[in-house]
Amino acid sequence: MGANRVAVIGTGQTKYTAVRGDVSMPGLIREAAYRAVEDAGLTMADIDAVVIGKAPDFFEGMMMPETYLAEALGCVGKPLFRVHTAGSVGGSTAIVAASHVEAGVHERVLTIGWQQQSVSEAMWALSFPIPFQQQLVAGAGGYFAPFIREYMRRSNAPDDTGILVALKDRLNALKNPYAHLHEPEITYDSIKESFMLWEPIRYSETCPSSDGAFAMVLGSEAAAAQAQADTGIPPAWVLGTSMRSEPATAHGRDQITPQAGKDCAADVYRQAGISDPLEDVDMVEMYVPFSWYEPMWLENLGFAPEGEGWRLTEDGTTQMDGRLPVNCSGGVLSTNPIGASGMIRFGEAAMQVRGTAGDHQIDGVRKAVGHAYGGAAQFFAMWVVGSDRP
Amino acid sequence: MGQQARADDELLHAPLVIEYGFNRTTGPVVGAFLTGLREQRVLGIRGADGRVVCPPVEYDPTTGEPLTEMVEVGTEGTITSWSWVPGDREGQPIPAPYALALVRLDGADTAMLHVVDAGSPDAVATGDRVRIRWADERSGSITDIACFEPVGGAS
Repeated sequence: MGANRVAVIGTGQTKYTAVRGDVSMPGLIREAAYRAVEDAGLTMADIDAVVIGKAPDFFEGMMMPETYLAEALGCVGKPLFRVHTAGSVGGSTAIVAASHVEAGVHERVLTIGWQQQSVSEAMWALSFPIPFQQQLVAGAGGYFAPFIREYMRRSNAPDDTGILVALKDRLNALKNPYAHLHEPEITYDSIKESFMLWEPIRYSETCPSSDGAFAMVLGSEAAAAQAQADTGIPPAWVLGTSMRSEPATAHGRDQITPQAGKDCAADVYRQAGISDPLEDVDMVEMYVPFSWYEPMWLENLGFAPEGEGWRLTEDGTTQMDGRLPVNCSGGVLSTNPIGASGMIRFGEAAMQVRGTAGDHQIDGVRKAVGHAYGGAAQFFAMWVVGSDRP
Repeated sequence: MGQQARADDELLHAPLVIEYGFNRTTGPVVGAFLTGLREQRVLGIRGADGRVVCPPVEYDPTTGEPLTEMVEVGTEGTITSWSWVPGDREGQPIPAPYALALVRLDGADTAMLHVVDAGSPDAVATGDRVRIRWADERSGSITDIACFEPVGGAS
């Protein structure tokens, strides 16, 4: 972390849904932005700069939307930046926003991640055949499925770990009014019987396509004190941020547990003074678009030894009432506006620390981790937020 | 033994055509503007300072506040600047050389970029009056305005 303390002082989001046909793209983003500003007890005039992020422009066929968002985001006369790091963009966007406050350049920065997946088809956007390049004709799920299979082989995990993750996350989503999928009828058997998309990933073990936006206001120490005085809601202090990247294809690259993910976790834990992640962290929002990525990331992020992550899912550790609740919001498995999904992870971690998570609030969260990944599991972004001022 | 990289004229080349039928949500303001064009009406919107922006915007360009007061503007207007396009190319907006002009419609305080079918660059000037020529078939698109034409007919 940089020279100056930074905290999350406001969060806001839209209801996530398959199609938000009633608003324009600027209207959708604005909804989350103004809710975050209001949550911080501020008006848009108090915001010094805006940092936005979304996934590839092919997802909406809207090139450089940042060029026409200034008035919708109350940003006339202010700096406006856009960040892009594939699926991890929501996380890296928040980190870029935090860096402006850390550096002492700005007092209050608004950051927003969004996606309007209904205007295109992510499967298409990820799969059009570029001449002479490795083809991703499988979409994201088909791309990741063989790596999941390899994880199962290495770890000897039971076949149903993925089902348990999906059931947990979809039931958690029932406690989150903003979540896209609300499936009160879902059961272990209904997931098991849902059709196989890319073995071992079943339909009910994969993320939906969502429209929506998530926004946060990041503030300096003085801004945090002011916001707490005005709203009565404590800040979530940013205790560490980290990003790591690696090539999509490289000799010796382990795509089951990428080195960039391990390095990102080690870096952010060092900043936040976390020596034993399972002991020191109270809850995690991690990027799990396909069920099996919960046990895989539990290992990659150091919550379990290699080959043992599935045990934390199977024994209930990652449940809402477990030792390490994972994705209390319902996670990416219940809500996936891709460009927002990383920021939802970061923002939900902050909401847990601030005590504003509502029905999916965990009591007494003092340190929470937000995690996002993107590309061919090659871009990683993480932060740790906490209740105690660093 | 490694091989040397190939000379450029030996390398393969291939076209990349990207096509997808994207959907768009217009929202309440732009949607109303486009629907109006279909009915041969042009709508602007009144900004916080009272000036009328046309084509309309959802949020005030100065204050960022949501705008709601749609204002019907005229179908005639004034050229505020222009450029002559002498080409005769496939796919151009009208099948003749034309002017690309900024046109401020009567009742609006901003200009929109559109095509003026003036026949010759000698027949167009800043300050000239033009009127909308509507497309025969309109679908709720900016091309429902086929082009503008000089008031009084092309010279």
